[in-house]
Amino acid sequence: MKKLHKNTFFSLKGLMLAGVGAIALSASADAGTVRVTVAEYSAKTGPYFEQVAKDFEAANPGIKIQFEVVPWDNLLQKLTTDISANANADLSIIGTRWLVDFVEQGIAEPLDNYLTPEIKGRFIETFLTPSVMNGKTYGLPIAASARAMYYNKELFEKAGLSEPPKTWAELEESAKKITALGNGLYGFGLQGKEVETDVYFYYGMWSFGGDIVNDGKSGLDSKAAIEAASLYKRLIDEGATQPGVTSYAREDVQNLFKQGKIGMMMTAPFLANQIRDEAPNLKYGVAPIPKGPNGDQGTYGVTDSVIMFQNSKNKDEAFKFLDFLFQPKQRIKFTIDEGFLPVTKAEAQDKYFAENPDLKVFTSLLPTARFAPVIAGWEEIADITTSALQRIYLGNGQIEPTLKEAASKANAILKK
Amino acid sequence: MTSKRMVAPYVLILPSFVLAALIVIWPVAELAQIASHNVNRFGQLRDFAGMANFRALLDDPNFIASLWRTGIWTVCVVGGAIACAVPVALVLNEDFYGRDIARVIVMLPWAVSLTMTAIVWRWALSGESGMLNSALMGLGLIDENIQWLAEATTAFPMQILIGILVTIPFTVTIILGGLSSIPDDLYEAAALEGAGRWEQFRHITLPLIAPFLNIALVLNTIYVFNSFPIIWAMTQGGPANSTDILVTYLYKVGFRLGKLGEASAVSLVMFGILLIFTLIYVRITTTARGVRA
Repeated sequence: MKKLHKNTFFSLKGLMLAGVGAIALSASADAGTVRVTVAEYSAKTGPYFEQVAKDFEAANPGIKIQFEVVPWDNLLQKLTTDISANANADLSIIGTRWLVDFVEQGIAEPLDNYLTPEIKGRFIETFLTPSVMNGKTYGLPIAASARAMYYNKELFEKAGLSEPPKTWAELEESAKKITALGNGLYGFGLQGKEVETDVYFYYGMWSFGGDIVNDGKSGLDSKAAIEAASLYKRLIDEGATQPGVTSYAREDVQNLFKQGKIGMMMTAPFLANQIRDEAPNLKYGVAPIPKGPNGDQGTYGVTDSVIMFQNSKNKDEAFKFLDFLFQPKQRIKFTIDEGFLPVTKAEAQDKYFAENPDLKVFTSLLPTARFAPVIAGWEEIADITTSALQRIYLGNGQIEPTLKEAASKANAILKK
Repeated sequence: MTSKRMVAPYVLILPSFVLAALIVIWPVAELAQIASHNVNRFGQLRDFAGMANFRALLDDPNFIASLWRTGIWTVCVVGGAIACAVPVALVLNEDFYGRDIARVIVMLPWAVSLTMTAIVWRWALSGESGMLNSALMGLGLIDENIQWLAEATTAFPMQILIGILVTIPFTVTIILGGLSSIPDDLYEAAALEGAGRWEQFRHITLPLIAPFLNIALVLNTIYVFNSFPIIWAMTQGGPANSTDILVTYLYKVGFRLGKLGEASAVSLVMFGILLIFTLIYVRITTTARGVRA
């Protein structure tokens, strides 16, 4: 009896000691070890960063690089938990649209003390600007993307269409003609759920001259937004889109496109890589996003940035690694692997990018690219917008009142 | 000696108590602290906010709707699972050729991760290229594809059905345990008295497996109430929050919108609801033991 008691107590104590030991270990990473949290963009991401770490360590003895590769969907959640437990890495990839929260809460370290003019000069202006806040550079763009329209050349030919639509009015006509081919073919792939459902709507809204935020107020109840929503709803009602749009996330629409079932969709450059690997026989083209009645046009630009944490104990080593990561050799491999747009000038001059006709369409759209507005609470506004759009697409809400209600909710957040 | 007897039980449960305190009480205290403060999106506490986070919840129609939907979800999945599991367990308890294989087949869904099951169903229910639609079309039951996940009216019932499907194996296991504890001579005696199959079921089987059904009921209620993967992987609570239950609502508020204070308040509400169920569970297990003794 006595022995048993002692043993139980002992093992419990052992357990607790082990626990304390684990905590102590995780908190004090060795000096000279730089921990980096990276998003897993594809199956190639992990091996790529492993190779980079090896190369860097070979060139910089004494500094060790430790990667944590996190699926993109869990990244913000992981960072949130890490930061609240004070166990975050030294560097991390983040969606640049989250940056404002990181800056306001003093979590991101300004990089200006480390950034030499040479390093700053490597980047393409358009992509560096979103990471600049209050005159300070808080992040370096590591991945950039814009959106353009993919169209299926074979379906266009079958429907008797010679070229992709230049305006939304033309798009409506073309989409109807493709749907009329029957056989489960549809003209326009419309995304109706999950991440970027709101963005898919902004393509239309921007073309009608609208904006997400106007003078600190939501543009969701603007004339342009109502016109764009009416257009999308009409496309759904006319059968110009695939049926049941609210069950289609971006990947689902992309799958339809790869299967050759839809005529047109808007998405990022990486679809071209997927088509190359999964549907090499698909004949497709890339065209600019259609214009509105007054010639307005807009595409969505996105960057992800690497930030340095304010509480990092290895800032010099961490920046040394950033310097290495943003050299042409590392950059070109990453951007080709993942199907992004070049963020540094040296990449853009590389043959692969300079001579790729699809990518040229994307880069030609960059002057009209708009980035997610820098607002605290942006994710919540995106959520409200998505909900409102889903109600409209489903026919559960009248267009004008639904958008007005969403705008007033968004305004309440913008006021905070 | 007697005083030693008095002390010993407490000493013996002390390790479990310490463990429970570490696993349950500490996180709940932590949650209560977050829920009563203004918190930034990284979980760092700011000033004290009292009940403001709870009030914000009550003002959110999506929270109230999720609360009701969680009730429907739990009752339908648990009820449906038990209603299906009883006949399945009865059949599996019979002695027939290939019973072992049948048991394995029934248990298989248990071995697959819930998230994988949900993702496979998401593909199967896809409107244009889903298996279910092509199967129904092939059987001539429908003329055009049904967009299962586009609206809550079709998505939510399908999610409940899948919830039932994945809950059956566990429930069958519990009921099989109950059935094997019923001595055969009871049935022989009843048959001699002229009782039919139905009467045997009603007057012998059902009362004797009742304690097991109760346990299945409460355990399943706790699991299903907290079950996240099915709904998240299939619709993420959408479209327009129309398939949200409390856990998916909690996840969105906490990690997508970054309102950790409100999210903590939701978890406390969920904890409170489950605490009540746990108390019921304790009651049931203690009375169940009383019956058997």
